[in-house]
Amino acid sequence: MLGATVAALGVVAAINAIVDPFQQYRLASRHAPRFYALHHRWITPGIAKHATYETALIGSSIMESTRNDAIAAACGGPAVNLSMPAISAMEIRTMLETVFDARHPRRAIVALDFNAFSGTPDERQESAGPLPAYLYDRAVLNDLPYLLSGTVLRKSFSILSGRGGDSFTTDPDAPWYWADSMRFGQAEVLRGLDLGNLNAHFQQPPRTLAGMRASFEHNILPIMRAHPETRFDLVWPPYSILVWVDFAQRAQLDATLAFKRYVASAVQGMQNVDVVDLQAHDEITGNLDLYMDIYHFAPQVNRWMVERACSGLDRVDSTGADASERRLREQLRAWRPPAPRASQ
Amino acid sequence: MLFNSHEYLIWFLPAAVLGYFLLGARARWSVRWLVIASLFFYGWWNPNHLPLIAASIVGNFGLARRMQRSAAAGRWLFAGVGANLALLGLFKYSDFLLRTLAELDLMPLVQLHLALPLGVSFFTFTQIAFLVDVRRGKAREPSFDNYALFVTFFPHLLAGPIIHHSEMMPQFASTTNKRVAWDNVAAGIFLLAIGLAKKVFLADPLVPLVAAGFDHAATIDTFQAWLSALAYTLQIYFDFSGYTDMALGAALIFNIRLPVNFDSPYRALDLREFWHRWHMTLSRFLREYVYVPLGGNRVAESRVLANLMLTFLLGGLWHGAAWTFVCWGALHGVGLCCARVWRNSGARLPRFAAWALTFTFVVVTWVFFRAHSIADAWAILQAMAGSPSLQPGAPVPLRQALASLLDRDLAAALALGAGLLIVFQRRNSNALVRDISASWLVAAATAAALTLSVLQLSNVAPFLYFNF
Repeated sequence: MLGATVAALGVVAAINAIVDPFQQYRLASRHAPRFYALHHRWITPGIAKHATYETALIGSSIMESTRNDAIAAACGGPAVNLSMPAISAMEIRTMLETVFDARHPRRAIVALDFNAFSGTPDERQESAGPLPAYLYDRAVLNDLPYLLSGTVLRKSFSILSGRGGDSFTTDPDAPWYWADSMRFGQAEVLRGLDLGNLNAHFQQPPRTLAGMRASFEHNILPIMRAHPETRFDLVWPPYSILVWVDFAQRAQLDATLAFKRYVASAVQGMQNVDVVDLQAHDEITGNLDLYMDIYHFAPQVNRWMVERACSGLDRVDSTGADASERRLREQLRAWRPPAPRASQ
Repeated sequence: MLFNSHEYLIWFLPAAVLGYFLLGARARWSVRWLVIASLFFYGWWNPNHLPLIAASIVGNFGLARRMQRSAAAGRWLFAGVGANLALLGLFKYSDFLLRTLAELDLMPLVQLHLALPLGVSFFTFTQIAFLVDVRRGKAREPSFDNYALFVTFFPHLLAGPIIHHSEMMPQFASTTNKRVAWDNVAAGIFLLAIGLAKKVFLADPLVPLVAAGFDHAATIDTFQAWLSALAYTLQIYFDFSGYTDMALGAALIFNIRLPVNFDSPYRALDLREFWHRWHMTLSRFLREYVYVPLGGNRVAESRVLANLMLTFLLGGLWHGAAWTFVCWGALHGVGLCCARVWRNSGARLPRFAAWALTFTFVVVTWVFFRAHSIADAWAILQAMAGSPSLQPGAPVPLRQALASLLDRDLAAALALGAGLLIVFQRRNSNALVRDISASWLVAAATAAALTLSVLQLSNVAPFLYFNF
């Protein structure tokens, strides 16, 4: 019975290794690649290990609709988007370690999402689901959960037989692009929101400056210090103004802005690191038609972000960070609830 | 290391077995190999706790030696039990105590946030029992290697069964046990396959169904409340008995027989019988080292009832540092007292009524065991009782609710149905492995169960009893 079990498991492992539905050992070439949204965290490390790129973009779901070719056009050379939904600072570090283990990119653009720095330095967001950490290293011996997975075997068979099944995309330039299946506009953003208590809908946990700072020092600073040959652009993404209203409503504004000031000072003097602050651009953040909810923006904003980052615009040092903060506070003071439109 | 993990099943267990039998000709090295393998197994998740278990083993062994030679053995026993309980208390109960004192406004809230070492309740109780038996003159262990293996032997280390010195030491000392016995290997793999299949195909699919109720205690209706409670009743049984089957199976491959821990508990006709069938080695420990020393049955009836209550309050607290566990233990204590009074009165219930009453009591009390808080448990119990205040809208007809369950989560519905059929069967895994005979059918079924279970392992959930 042991022999039969070992033989059966060996066959399964061989099929999964050869078909390799999540592209762990090579990029798909014998069949069209399949990017399963449900297995985002399984597939992305494979792409990080095997794709050819000079620029890597890492961020949360707000960055997923950034096309690889758009990054390449803005930054020069081949590029890859390795963003993952509900990414945490620990996962940013893990992904960067995978990147540097496999490639030495010229540039890494890291979109800093405040939620990524919630909790302890190793904390992950519950909504992110499990992280298959064994796929983020080079070792093959610990890949057994992948090679001996019934789920992966079903995917292998569906690829071999050309059948569909679970939803997936196939464009290697935009594997996680979701913008074309969503609607954007002020009406979408305001749907179901209590403007007097925005967090009633989003239920975000409180953060502390000490916690965010500890997470940044543990997860982000060391890897930037360890790779002086790579240019890091730490980008503050342009959330809608309603995010700042939410922060103010639940007394998170000062801690959040203090964290931004801390990041600017922490990287000051690091020649390979720039902070790019896009959060006070009220032509973007004040135009709710560019958003699908208070956090997630339209793909043209993603494109604009990488263009700004790679062209060197909006870089801030400590002084610039103070100016940006002043503008943001002024915008917040001037903010009034949007007037309902006829169609709402 | 989890029993239901690839690293355990594919790498660790085969390597441990291979080393043990290759060194079999030199029995001492065989034992040492298993100690090293067990410590590796223990340290896999958090090597920081290795010094703690090592110190606990060395300390208790030294204390036992001292007790054997000392005229003041009683004092040494007192110190030893106290030290073990202090260790357990520090890691497991200190935050609970501090929180409770703060809630009573006796001090400001301070929390130590100490990481709970895996299996601390199990290896502490095992060693307390050993010290007590040394004091009673029932145990004597001159070999440190054998003692270290007694405590660390990986199949029982993290979640039991809680073993007894007298049943294990002769097996560890036996030289014939260091030679391969193919019958035991086959039976061990068979039991391991049953345990793994229980965990993967019956316990884990029930997780969403359980969470749907217990994570939304304030808003569930009567059907959901009963469904979640029943699902948890099955989940905890298949999870823990599956773990135990895997433990017994792995040990059997090494020619070591661990004590049976489950014997179809949900078939019990009264609560006393339930505790003779559920987590039997914990029941044995509580009986021999708490209940009997308190006086057991040999005292006045009112004292017997008080002893029962105290024993089960401690049993509840042993499971976790929370008032929900204390409530669960208290309810079982009260239930056992009532059952005793009823039995002594000479009254009898028809078999089916006795079973239904016992099973319903067990299902209802599991609510406290699983709920996040007493308030949640109370809300679920109110929903189970059909409290209209908690149920917005018209009640959903049972048929429609079942159809919705099948549609929403087929795997959970199948696990629930299959689980209910299995728990009430007369032949459980112990009986199956006892009666096993070599045949192609058994071999094929075992191979299929192992293969299919391993293919389902990617979505691993930890065993529930690791928390205790």
